[in-house]
Amino acid sequence: MPRDPRDDEDLPQPLRRATELLRELPPVREQWRRDFDDSLADDREMDIDRGNRFTRRGWTVTPLTAIAACLLCAVLGGAVVATLHRSGDTSQTASVKSPSPASQSGLNVRFDLVAPGASQVAIVGDFNQWNAESLPMRRSADGTQWEIEVRLPPGRYTYGFVVDGKLTRDPRAPEGAGDDFGIPNSVRMVSRAGGSL
Amino acid sequence: MERWASSSCTEVTFAEVRRYHPVEMTDAMLVQNVLGGDPAAFTMLVDRHAPVCLRFATRMLGSIQDAEEVTQETLMRVHRTLSRYDAQMSFRTWMMSILVNRCRSALLHRHRRTTRVMLDEEAVKQASVRSAAHDVELRDAIERAVAQLDAGQREAFLLKHVEQLSYDEIAAVTGVGLSALKMRVQRACDRLQLLLEEDRYA
Repeated sequence: MPRDPRDDEDLPQPLRRATELLRELPPVREQWRRDFDDSLADDREMDIDRGNRFTRRGWTVTPLTAIAACLLCAVLGGAVVATLHRSGDTSQTASVKSPSPASQSGLNVRFDLVAPGASQVAIVGDFNQWNAESLPMRRSADGTQWEIEVRLPPGRYTYGFVVDGKLTRDPRAPEGAGDDFGIPNSVRMVSRAGGSL
Repeated sequence: MERWASSSCTEVTFAEVRRYHPVEMTDAMLVQNVLGGDPAAFTMLVDRHAPVCLRFATRMLGSIQDAEEVTQETLMRVHRTLSRYDAQMSFRTWMMSILVNRCRSALLHRHRRTTRVMLDEEAVKQASVRSAAHDVELRDAIERAVAQLDAGQREAFLLKHVEQLSYDEIAAVTGVGLSALKMRVQRACDRLQLLLEEDRYA
């Protein structure tokens, strides 16, 4: 955006040349650009996006539609949370089986972790607000593995396991970007067509 | 810019404008196209604004890798929330407000920030590629000096004098009051001059 050179008037003379150098645009790495396009394509394929329930591309948002959308999202959001809690509770006692895995409320996504020495394992993630209480995992019959099925709408989920109170990532899944903040986590993609990836 | 959007030109489709007059497409028109279901319009927005985001984030964080990460986060966020964009604010200002927040989070959450800002030689080297030889030294010096500023002063200085936003725009982007911003920019300039002087005699 071209600016009036007078904008620099309040920039002290000795800093002007140096500041001009700072204004040079850096090159955009091709690899970064390709990676960005890939992420964007993934994002477009996913129908749900966290924190973006009120947004749908192509809509004209008037105040009335915004209010209607808010109400709808509140109702749907409540239903999803209720479903997650239910699946978490039942998983303690019985295997969760869905007659129609691609029904509207989501897919049954299986998570497991080999932790034979653990006494308590839970799954935490975007889908349960990282609440270690809400989705406890159950021990497999042979006692080596912990398992749970969580009903999730298609999307990208960041999650981890709480093994005896300690948060750990899924050793068999890709790491999440948030790991750089010191929080171990993994990423699971749930696609509309074929279940979890 | 107005003429393409005016009613007398309704027979000119956005696709045609884009094909023949890519520069004439304003950000607002591109946003409208993205919302209308044209993904290529978002690609144009990214091509147009990614370098600016990378510039600000690299100067702010002192690391190209971190800058690429927050730029990606910012543009993805822009894409997801585009329908909430209020055209009262310029697209660039809106995008910068997201970027500034992402940079603040990155600084807050990364304990290595001090060393990264100070010592990332790669950032300095890569940023220097386009400079003439006699500018390389000055650029290195100003890079080092900017990295030593307090984060609030660095943010205000970069937005004012590198991104060249108005104080009103900076206030909207940062949520900081006008007089405080002016004070930060002033102090940043004073300190930068001092640091450049010291560097010259070092």
